[in-house]
Amino acid sequence: MKINTRKFGEIDIDEDKILTMPEGLPGFPGFEQFVLFEDKKTAPFCWFQSIEAPNLSLVVMNPSVFKPDYQLDLQGLIDSRGWKDTTPENLLIFVVINIQEGRQEKSITANLMGPLVINLENREVIQMAISDPDYSHQYDVLESLK
Amino acid sequence: MLVLSRKTKERILIGKDIVISVLEIEGSNVKIGIEAPRDISILRMEVFEKIQNENIASASKEPEDISQAMDLFKKKLSKE
Repeated sequence: MKINTRKFGEIDIDEDKILTMPEGLPGFPGFEQFVLFEDKKTAPFCWFQSIEAPNLSLVVMNPSVFKPDYQLDLQGLIDSRGWKDTTPENLLIFVVINIQEGRQEKSITANLMGPLVINLENREVIQMAISDPDYSHQYDVLESLK
Repeated sequence: MLVLSRKTKERILIGKDIVISVLEIEGSNVKIGIEAPRDISILRMEVFEKIQNENIASASKEPEDISQAMDLFKKKLSKE
């Protein structure tokens, strides 16, 4: 199936890869269908692209690249969602990435407060909200690689 | 917006199964208890707003911004 995107033009996606956000994406109410894709030119940064809105795509990344000790209560999420056939191994975690214009250099930040959790069993995505003082919404990615 | 006045220990029922209790009032601080089904998400508004703002900012990034970020990222990794 072909979808239109503003940043990448028309792209061909596998219908089995379509993800739905039953609770929606904060900031973008009304859009529920997305696809996650990796552009070879920008890996390991990935794109969380709306199927419905060509304009809407977020930059996301697997946090294990820069924050291997990032931990979420995945079992709690599974229980609260009533995902019966799902185990934490079926879940993929991505975090939303931003680029901040700094004084001298740009910095890359990750929102550890609102991870996107993808359930590979039913292809649902939930953006969790974590109220943990250790997990900043603007975690400095480059600093963590030092 | 509906505005209700409540005293300590008084409660409010929302729908069939959400109960808000005023537990304690001290100066400008109010301690609130919330009972709700597990699938109802309850968030401090500031947390939701931060997540929302990061989503909106991220959606405004262009592939060129990310190419630059990638260079920074790779530079850092190669220094290790």
